[in-house]
Amino acid sequence: MIEIKQLAKKFAVENPKKLSEQEKKDPRLKGRFFHSVQDVSFTCHKGEVLGLLGPNGAGKTTTLRMLSTALKPDSGSVEISGDNVLANPVIARKKIGFLSGSTGLYGRLTGRENIHYFGQLHGMSEESIVKRINELADLLDMHNFLDRRSENFSTGMKQKTAIARAVVHSPELVILDEPTTGLDIMATQTVLEFIRGLKEQGTPVIFSTHHLDEVEELCDKVTVIDLGRTMFDGDIASFKALAQGSLHQSFMAAIQSTTSE
Amino acid sequence: MWLVFKKEIKELLRDRKTLFFMVALPLLIFPVLIGVAGFVSKQAMDKAESQVLNYALVGGQYAPEIVEDLEQPDKFKLVEISENEDFTTIIRDETVDFVLVIPENYSSNVLENGQTNIKLYFNDAGLNLVYRRVNEIVKSQSELFQQSAFSVLGLDETQQSALIEPIVLEKVNTADDRENWGEKIGGMLPYVLFLLCLTGAMAPATDIGAGEKERGTLETLLISPIDRNKIVMGKFLTICFAGTMTALLTVGSMVIWGLVLSQGMAIKFVADFMAQIAMHDFLLIFLMLVPVVAIFAAVLLSISIYSKSFKEAQSYMGPMSILVVIPIMLALLPGVELKGAWAWVPITNVSLAMKELLKGTMDYYQLFAIFGSTVLIAGALFAFCVYWFNQEKVLFR
Repeated sequence: MIEIKQLAKKFAVENPKKLSEQEKKDPRLKGRFFHSVQDVSFTCHKGEVLGLLGPNGAGKTTTLRMLSTALKPDSGSVEISGDNVLANPVIARKKIGFLSGSTGLYGRLTGRENIHYFGQLHGMSEESIVKRINELADLLDMHNFLDRRSENFSTGMKQKTAIARAVVHSPELVILDEPTTGLDIMATQTVLEFIRGLKEQGTPVIFSTHHLDEVEELCDKVTVIDLGRTMFDGDIASFKALAQGSLHQSFMAAIQSTTSE
Repeated sequence: MWLVFKKEIKELLRDRKTLFFMVALPLLIFPVLIGVAGFVSKQAMDKAESQVLNYALVGGQYAPEIVEDLEQPDKFKLVEISENEDFTTIIRDETVDFVLVIPENYSSNVLENGQTNIKLYFNDAGLNLVYRRVNEIVKSQSELFQQSAFSVLGLDETQQSALIEPIVLEKVNTADDRENWGEKIGGMLPYVLFLLCLTGAMAPATDIGAGEKERGTLETLLISPIDRNKIVMGKFLTICFAGTMTALLTVGSMVIWGLVLSQGMAIKFVADFMAQIAMHDFLLIFLMLVPVVAIFAAVLLSISIYSKSFKEAQSYMGPMSILVVIPIMLALLPGVELKGAWAWVPITNVSLAMKELLKGTMDYYQLFAIFGSTVLIAGALFAFCVYWFNQEKVLFR
């Protein structure tokens, strides 16, 4: 189980003159700091899939980066099955599998070597790495390209390799930042199947997305973030109940409560 | 740490472009180019030596011996010219290569007629051997005249040589061969070694920091459960390794190719020179390289990790080579010696020490200062690297 409470993160603005008009109007810009995330809280239990929604620039990636320990929050807490992530980042990193939205592979290594390297970094034994890679290759249908250099991979192949790399150490929690963005229908389907597989095994998954159909298909819980604040946090049924009709309208309703405030 | 190092080296070895600059360039291309240049210039010299020179002669009747000596069809060819020809013009339009003007007072009787002044007109701007070739002939004649004058005067051999050169200033060099050549080669060595180290380290350094950021692999690496220090150390060692390897490969190839190309000519000299330098001095020269490479690697890694992209990193690294040359140049200034404060100036002190080691005049106590200061600086820079690897504003710029 993962519990996130009142996470906040601000970034120093080096040159305020360089900001765009829209950024200057953003209420999160206060003096020399841009308060990217101000108050984000949600929880995700074993076997749950949580969809993180929000407009571009809402603070989704920053939130996920804080969960993954890549960034250090200014305040708030993150706990994974009772372990404080902020106090023990190295322990937390072993429990989390994180796929960043802008991730890449080492082009001159093969797909297998890419995954293998991160297995080693996680301190896995040689034997268990080999076994795990075979398992993941079956699961993600990667056998026919696994031993080629990854610089020639298609977007789908890259994403599958990146996912395999993120979960090679069988993490307790999987965090995916826009895992299906830019993928074709087949590759998207493989990724969604994979998330479903994790859910069946009881591994909680948090993923951010702009595709509401994915949310409807997979998620048990929905968290909506806007302007760095949690606007909605609840199960899919109550999210649907926010508005009559489609999920899009529910989403708009969740967002609008900010603007009206 | 070794995990990171091993993976970086593996990637480096698979990168043909970087490898080309690191290995092929110094090992094959440079020696071939130098060889070709040497071959072409040797050809040009041979040609100048064996070329048949066209010449015109004025006043040949006064010096039949010289005229006779010039009658060698495989070397010189006489061209007739009219009396009031302008020498400059005919040399410029290549009718002749030189004009020899012998004065009326030319005579073997030196004691009566005094010195004779023969004029040689030729274009001395380019590379040619005209003067040398004509001088050979004139000189032998001149010596004959000298001999006949001496015999007229009835001088013995001692008197003869005393007359030719009454006072001799003899040079007695207290520096042995090693010190002499050590000073010259030792001055050049740091330039070559340091710059090679730097260029060799640059390519992998860009790839390892900025490249990783650009490809988006950095974030994933940072959230793997391995200490940042170990990541930095692994990357740092890779850069050091690449830099040292490039320098060693290049110097090694220079020595080998030099021996091959010079074909025995200089081998004895080189071998003698090398034989005088003790093994531990060679080892020290190599060891000296280590802290310098460490400084380079730490600076390059900091730059690389700060940069957003390959391009940005490369433009920051460009001026590095100029910055490196300055302290090496300082080491060549007269009066700058390996003692006192100079022994603490980084890079300059290592350049000085390399020179001293080659010369065989090393004051080994200065090694403390050298290693002390370089290790201190490299250590500080390394700590800075680690600090930057923990800075969010640097990593997520």
